[in-house]
Amino acid sequence: MALVPVAFPAFLFLASCAAVQSGADILAGTGQISESDRQAIVKTSGAVSATFSQITEEQEYYIGRSVAALILAQYPAYDNAALNTYINTLGQAIVYSSDRPEIYAGYHFLVLDTEEVNALSAPGGFIFISKGLIRRCKNEEMLASILAHEVGHVCSKHGLQAIKKSRLVDAFRVIGTEAARRYGSEELAQLTTAFEGALGDVVETLVVRGYDRKYEHEADDLAVKFDVAVGYAPKGLTDFLQTMIGDSTTASGKGWFKTHPSAEQRMEKVKGKIAALSSVPAEASVRTKRFEQSVAKLK
Amino acid sequence: MKRPIPLTMTVSLLILIVSLLVAETLTVKVQSTSLRNTPKFYAPAVQSLSAGEKVEKISAQGGWIQVRTSGGITGWVHSSAVEVPKFDLMATNKGLKTQASASEVALAGKGFNKQVEESYRAKHKDLSFAWVDRMLQIKIAAAQVEEFMKKGKLGEFGGGK
Repeated sequence: MALVPVAFPAFLFLASCAAVQSGADILAGTGQISESDRQAIVKTSGAVSATFSQITEEQEYYIGRSVAALILAQYPAYDNAALNTYINTLGQAIVYSSDRPEIYAGYHFLVLDTEEVNALSAPGGFIFISKGLIRRCKNEEMLASILAHEVGHVCSKHGLQAIKKSRLVDAFRVIGTEAARRYGSEELAQLTTAFEGALGDVVETLVVRGYDRKYEHEADDLAVKFDVAVGYAPKGLTDFLQTMIGDSTTASGKGWFKTHPSAEQRMEKVKGKIAALSSVPAEASVRTKRFEQSVAKLK
Repeated sequence: MKRPIPLTMTVSLLILIVSLLVAETLTVKVQSTSLRNTPKFYAPAVQSLSAGEKVEKISAQGGWIQVRTSGGITGWVHSSAVEVPKFDLMATNKGLKTQASASEVALAGKGFNKQVEESYRAKHKDLSFAWVDRMLQIKIAAAQVEEFMKKGKLGEFGGGK
């Protein structure tokens, strides 16, 4: 028993947070450490091993709300109820077939009033698609593939992974194991600073720098997977990428062109992914027709 | 001649069996969800469930979990809507409370919450949340999605696969 206090500090820094937590629980349970020691150990370990996966659904929602507000400060919303309903219904059909259909406040889609070609997804399921991008889609399969790619980013929490570890360390230090859900002014100021930093990290990644290439390819893989699961022809994605290859606005290097790997690179990988599938759904003219009707009033 | 099984081993075995049989308690981690009568999003809702509500797992199928509410009503929830406690033999004899201690449930309302958003907004008064709130108001009922899929020959309504 005398060995425990000596051995524990080394264990504390080597083990994962979960292991430390259960270790501390066990020691507290057997009376070898006090309750306050247990809380201190858990709090320290939480700060040491802070990762995006420890961000709760509710916190993801609050990060997403502010990221969405910051995106909407750069791009105006397109106030067209019929088109937004169509985009949301299509988006929801994809969500139902996705890996993470239920999130804190659900998925919500909005068209952005810009001719720039862009699609963005904030954590917490706030997904944006520009008028410019919709204009380049020729059918529902293409639009579905883009929305599925964005849903994929949310499912895999790519936005949250852009948050620097230091912000989470700071936030989790305050959160710790405190019972309070309403914070005092000092704690609130610390959390707000971490929150601002986190928002900056996500927005810079979404709007300026773009995700790591591996996340874009992962979102493409998920787009193919969700397309097939919901019944869309996954060639909607390769058809869209093909359109982008010959797009004259590529040269402007704005929006989507700046933040995504080249369409050629993505195309090659997506084609390989589709070729590996045993069977894929076919396009349906009924869908192309309703797509054309829905986007006809695009101004 | 058979040796009798030692008492301690019998007790340990019994504890293990009982802990394996004890129903798993799941906690709703999304703001609200529906308890559905079949494992499908557009299946009729039996009742609604909100964050923090506890349900008991009965069985699982695909991504869906059949559960029983505290009121004794059974139905299906999607696994992404609930917190599934990690199975941990070390913790089972200490109850579910221990298992959930570092979870979504324990952290509910903490960290980046409404209060932090208000504090952030007070510092950035020019940032508008009007369209964010309007986005959240766009709600597509499951029946609408089903109709969309039916008309578009998608999913189980597709004939072209």
